[in-house]
Amino acid sequence: MKKIYLLLLGFIPTLSFAQTLTDGLMMPKKNICTGFMYMHDRWTDYWEGELKRDNGNIGHVTTQSLMWMGNYGITNKINVIATVPYVKTRASAGTLHGMEGLQDLSVGVKYNFFRKKFEKSAFSTFAVFNFTTPLSDYTPDFFPLALGTHTTNLTYRLTAHFKIEQGWFVNASGGYTWRSNTTLDRPSYHDGNEFVNSDEVKMPNMFDVFVSMGYHKGQLQAELNYIQQNTLGGGDIRRQDMPFVSNRMNMIKTGALVMFYLPKPQGLALRGSAHYTLAGRNAGQATTLMAGVLYTFKFYKNQ
Amino acid sequence: MKNKNFYAITFLTFACIFGIVVSCDKEVELSENLTPLQPTSLDEDAASWTSIDPSVITTEKIVNIVENSTPKVFNPPADIASDAYKAELAAIKDAQSKLTKEQKDIIEYWSGGGVLRWNQILRGLVAQFNLPPAPKADGTYPAPDAENPFADPNFPFANPPYAARAYSYVSAAQYEALKAAWHYIYQYNRLSPYKNDPGIQSLMPETNLPSYPSSDAVLSGVSAEMLKLLFPAAVEEITMKAAEQRNAALWSGKASSSDIAAGLALGKSVAALFVTRARGDGMGASIGNKALWQSLEDGAKAKGETPWISLETPKRPPMLPVFGKVKAWCMTPDQITAGRPLPPPLTSSAEMQKEVDEVKWYSDNMTRERLAIIHKWADGAGTYTPPGHWNDIAAEYIRDANYSEVRAARAFALLNMALHDAAVCCWETKFYYFNPRPSQMNASIKTGTGVPNFPAFTSGHSTFSGSGSTVLSYLFPEATDYFEAEANEASASRLYAGIHYRSDVEVGLEQGKNVGGFTVAFAQTDGAD
Repeated sequence: MKKIYLLLLGFIPTLSFAQTLTDGLMMPKKNICTGFMYMHDRWTDYWEGELKRDNGNIGHVTTQSLMWMGNYGITNKINVIATVPYVKTRASAGTLHGMEGLQDLSVGVKYNFFRKKFEKSAFSTFAVFNFTTPLSDYTPDFFPLALGTHTTNLTYRLTAHFKIEQGWFVNASGGYTWRSNTTLDRPSYHDGNEFVNSDEVKMPNMFDVFVSMGYHKGQLQAELNYIQQNTLGGGDIRRQDMPFVSNRMNMIKTGALVMFYLPKPQGLALRGSAHYTLAGRNAGQATTLMAGVLYTFKFYKNQ
Repeated sequence: MKNKNFYAITFLTFACIFGIVVSCDKEVELSENLTPLQPTSLDEDAASWTSIDPSVITTEKIVNIVENSTPKVFNPPADIASDAYKAELAAIKDAQSKLTKEQKDIIEYWSGGGVLRWNQILRGLVAQFNLPPAPKADGTYPAPDAENPFADPNFPFANPPYAARAYSYVSAAQYEALKAAWHYIYQYNRLSPYKNDPGIQSLMPETNLPSYPSSDAVLSGVSAEMLKLLFPAAVEEITMKAAEQRNAALWSGKASSSDIAAGLALGKSVAALFVTRARGDGMGASIGNKALWQSLEDGAKAKGETPWISLETPKRPPMLPVFGKVKAWCMTPDQITAGRPLPPPLTSSAEMQKEVDEVKWYSDNMTRERLAIIHKWADGAGTYTPPGHWNDIAAEYIRDANYSEVRAARAFALLNMALHDAAVCCWETKFYYFNPRPSQMNASIKTGTGVPNFPAFTSGHSTFSGSGSTVLSYLFPEATDYFEAEANEASASRLYAGIHYRSDVEVGLEQGKNVGGFTVAFAQTDGAD
């Protein structure tokens, strides 16, 4: 029975599916899962404020990133997840120079503070604290080609996960992100709302919701998900202006994710996902594809 | 139960970090804070300083308008012993007895100096309106319409030449309006209410400047009238700021209601003279038309040159191709054409190929350090433009010099007349040679900021910076090295960005210095030094 319970929560050693801060899955104690993921994100249409348009001077904007990720189980209830992405941007039209470099280090602690077992199902909840900070001095003042906002962010997240014996699950997560201000290389700017005589930009905080449902049993995890991200403030891109770092960037995405462990070698998993932006504000209507290879090492012999 | 401790510590850590975060102040630190203005000199003789354009305004001309209009623009002030004036003083005392926090904030804001405040407001308006029209579905671009300024696109598109001209008109009109105010202030010598009644507090630094007509009201009137012409869609913000400035003068005990009424009327009268100049300075024709745009291209081809082509999609008509014929402040049309730099290398020459290759190298080797310089000086769409950047640089020097309002206005007028003349000369050169941008010559050249939609030779940034640093070096000689270093950096940033050749930026900088020299030559003999 204990084994079934562990299985329900994804605790079977060497078959961990816990890779993100938003999922309701955990790595067992002293196991580490690490690997690389490649992401390809492209958009042509974008929302200038709430007006959907394209722009002949940028064409398609493509962002590629190669990300190292590692997830370590400090205990069965506490995981640490870290990522380091190298990002490269490019516009297919116009003259603007693409950017590339190391983006932000992310380190998160996921704590499974509650779990309740029922006859044929299980429910658990998680608290996540995540810290991100820039790893290089990339500029935040070159949207849409900037690598990021160059802010230090702190996210507080709560996640709930419910799963039945047959392997079906639903997962819901909500996060609140505090962002530090960011600094530009110029002495003044217009943020879409007002003109400011400073090189410092006030960055609004963010809120996100992540909901997924799917199947997770044995070597396979497959899910459909819904992601909504809202910036709690900030100006709109003005008519025919460039985007600005503190814009109110909102988006709703939907997508699918599959991860499975290969029969051999043991511990090797492939992960892939696809997402599409359904709606947005001051954001591109992106199609995002991701593929990754992950390997789980076991340092602790589970019972 | 080791684990329990661990969890407790983890939660405590979470809570602490959360505490730090919510208590963290996100207010940005502003870089241009103004302190209450206490001028070191009142410049009592300012009315005698030379007119910046005698065809627009002289002391005789404005006196004639003030005194011979029907009705008069304003009458001589009432005696301070009169009942009418005493009633004005009583009204100030009443207002001061019930000032709200908001009113006190308005007083504090305007105590920083009206000329500096209007310059900040103007930079904000330029940044707000410096947006190119978006293309229509058919691939053409709508033109901003002064008669319908709130439409899409807004009027104006406050691009660098438009902005340079706007800064110059506002500054020049403010300067001449304050000179006219000084003429009357010292003719009537009626002191501020706080000098005439001990019951009235001085809520701004006290000076001996007489107050009929109120110099603050003069500034509010002239600034609002000029700005309404230049930025008609911002009429609400402009008129509210102007009213605030007059209220601040009243509430602070600096000016009575009749001081203010006279000042407002004088400010508007001076503005009217500059509005007339602006309507006839050639700006209206500077956008050109299809036939003219085609003739520029044909002309370059006829000379065997590769003509400039817009790099935007869809192709956008060139920015203000006839701006080179707009009236300058300190240069005649002959001086402008005589000062036009010699031609850049022929587009087919080996020398040009070398220049293209150098730009390509900078494009391929865009270090973070150079990108910071590029972005510091980009001053492109949505910003206050390069002329605005030079006003930004000047503002702190003018603030720290503790100038009287009229001398502060002179400093901005000199700077902005030079920047306007630089725009005229640079645009005259650009559309005379109609030279392509580096990315047109070699499509693999990628740029660190947007490519401006007009020909390359000479660089606008370089010309602006050369003229701006020359005038500021005249005004603040102790900081000459700094101004020149900034100008050199601004100029070089365009080569680093991959949008200009070396000859554009080097020749542009020299051209700008020459233009600035005309303004300095005027300033050296205007009687203010």
